[in-house]
Amino acid sequence: MKGLGRNVLLFTASALFLVYVLAPVAWLVSSSVQQEAEITSRPPHWIPRQPTLENFEAIFQAKEKKVTYETRRAGDPATGGYIPSTARDLVPSMWNSLIVAVSVVVLNLLVAVPAAYAMAKIRYIGRSTSIYFMLTTRVIPDIALVVPFFLFIRTFGLLDHLGSLVITYLAITIPFSVFILVGYFESLPDELDKAARVDGCSRLQTLLRVYVPLAMPSLVAVVLFTFLTSWNEFLLALMFTQTPASQTMPIVVASFASDFTISFSFINAAGVLAVVPPVLMAVVFERYIVSGLTAGAVKG
Amino acid sequence: MKQFDRRDFLKSSAAAALAGSSSFGVLSRALAADPINFFAWSAGVDQVKSHISAFEAKTGLKVAYANAPWAQYRDTLVTKFVGGAPLDVLWVSDSWLPEWAEAGWLAPIDGYRELTKYNAEVDDFSTKSMTYKGKQYGLTYYTDYMGFFYDEQMLKKAGISAPPKTWDEVVQQSLKIKKAGLSEYPMMLSMARETWLIEFISAMVFSHGGRLVDDTGVAVMDDRRKGAREALTWVVDAVNKHKIVSPACVEIGELNGLKAFSSGQHAFAMLGRYRVRTLNDPKQSQIAGRVKQGLMPAGPNGSHATVGWNRFYGLTASAAKNKAKAADAVKFIEWFGGKADGKYAFQKLMFMDVGAGFAVKPLFKDPEIIKTYSQYSDIKMYERQQALARKKDVVSPWFGEWDEVNGTAWQAAILGKSSVNDALKRSADTWNKLRRRS
Repeated sequence: MKGLGRNVLLFTASALFLVYVLAPVAWLVSSSVQQEAEITSRPPHWIPRQPTLENFEAIFQAKEKKVTYETRRAGDPATGGYIPSTARDLVPSMWNSLIVAVSVVVLNLLVAVPAAYAMAKIRYIGRSTSIYFMLTTRVIPDIALVVPFFLFIRTFGLLDHLGSLVITYLAITIPFSVFILVGYFESLPDELDKAARVDGCSRLQTLLRVYVPLAMPSLVAVVLFTFLTSWNEFLLALMFTQTPASQTMPIVVASFASDFTISFSFINAAGVLAVVPPVLMAVVFERYIVSGLTAGAVKG
Repeated sequence: MKQFDRRDFLKSSAAAALAGSSSFGVLSRALAADPINFFAWSAGVDQVKSHISAFEAKTGLKVAYANAPWAQYRDTLVTKFVGGAPLDVLWVSDSWLPEWAEAGWLAPIDGYRELTKYNAEVDDFSTKSMTYKGKQYGLTYYTDYMGFFYDEQMLKKAGISAPPKTWDEVVQQSLKIKKAGLSEYPMMLSMARETWLIEFISAMVFSHGGRLVDDTGVAVMDDRRKGAREALTWVVDAVNKHKIVSPACVEIGELNGLKAFSSGQHAFAMLGRYRVRTLNDPKQSQIAGRVKQGLMPAGPNGSHATVGWNRFYGLTASAAKNKAKAADAVKFIEWFGGKADGKYAFQKLMFMDVGAGFAVKPLFKDPEIIKTYSQYSDIKMYERQQALARKKDVVSPWFGEWDEVNGTAWQAAILGKSSVNDALKRSADTWNKLRRRS
């Protein structure tokens, strides 16, 4: 009887917690298919009375090559003119975000994995100092780096180019990635390294054939951290991009709140699309996430 | 000793970075070969693009149009100015004019007769909003003012036949509506710390016959006879004594206020005039068709005055230095801020498409505009209130720093954490200190 009561209590608490966590997401989805007037209803309509897909249609409609008086999207209130004319920039911006995020993930791994292995397994003068020096670069707030970064990017002719974001995001993510991986590699026995070397492996082979397979949880953590940082980054993207050719998703979504007519239901529709890639990644890698993030945090 | 502010910091970091980047020996591109670089915030994007297409077809000139979100626009532009990004023409808010003019980023347009000739047909407060230290820095892009709106149906249900003409009447009518159980907080007022706050404060102060700063630039907001005391006292009483304004007003920004009013929770609201289009749109508002504009209520010693604001096309100093580039940029500014093919085409386009306000008076007589506006509001009232709009009196190079202190002081008084007098004194002391420092 006591066990049953405990289970009921646990179930109730879990259900309440689930509602607390999922209610905002449910509202995000529900309001994205409501008309603007309906989302201010009292009490709120969790199930839309007049569901509409016009927000999503506006997002996925084909982009005009050249906007003229005839082809412009006029904001006529009678036809749902509250949807911003930049709605069609969202999908290209998500594509830009994806290109940047994937590039940063790949390049980050190419740099951070060998660096972390070297720092964890090769003894050299200044090893600890170099680890902490890398970490201290992350103490500098991003806002302090904006102007210096801007000048370098402009000098290299990369303004309004996705390359500017890849370069700067790497500068931000690599130190933290190295820190996570160093901790994990250090937790793996040195004997593995020695055994592999005795068996004739080079340093690179030891890394790729022995340590990388064992470090999968922490690699997943790095991938997730890097992807999400790149996907969500706002400040640097704001400064370095200025046209739909290079603007990423956070900038385009922010621009939806700049116009004369601002639609919460439309912004929520954009939000629904924006969370899909990170949620998919989290679902796919879910079993590695916790072990990866805590790996190396406690050393024996 | 001069304090080290955010702009100094940006400049210092720019200098350091420039020293580093120049070591790569990469030369910057020549300005003259570039198109007209036009930067704006992301509003009316299709309208801007369509008018650019027409400009390019007409003149053969090319335009590189870029934009950033409004909320981050100022910071983005400061970085671009400091970083030497190519900028020729840009949208500027009247609030930033002194800062940008003092920094040498903007150039006056007084020498371009083809631009200043339009002043004769523009509302006076709008031209004044583009003027700093006797020099004009642009042509208007859009102009609007803080309007007073009411839900006609709710007033009728409460047995009220006419909207309030004074702030005292706002209190009386609100209490009646509250008593009838029609609304818990009949007056919607946005007092959250955001860029809109100074517009709300200024409208309240002007309609009470007060000033925040006098014509010589001295703070008078704490002056009992000509300051902001009556305005702030009204707000404090409305929240704490009459309970006709929600105490949550300190957390409600303009946009959320708009949505709250459009949900039918309030009888009265102060909002940007152009919001009336949204409020009377059935797809966006629960009270569509019921929202009317009234004159800004007057304080005991005040009038129906309100605050107006202006966004304009500014010419950058870097473009002005290059004769050919400046000539192209001036053509572009005239095409947008003045007439295109003999008509105020862009102002009309923005009004018809998105409801943006205009400062060019002849458009009030345009039959198409009259017809369109009559579908959701009263153009006579629009024009009448605009004639009573005044420019903000606190726009200065130190406006940003003062605005933060002033907003906090008003909020503290509203929440009962400080007296009205203490709040205004704090605001005035900060103003005078910043003025002396500059």
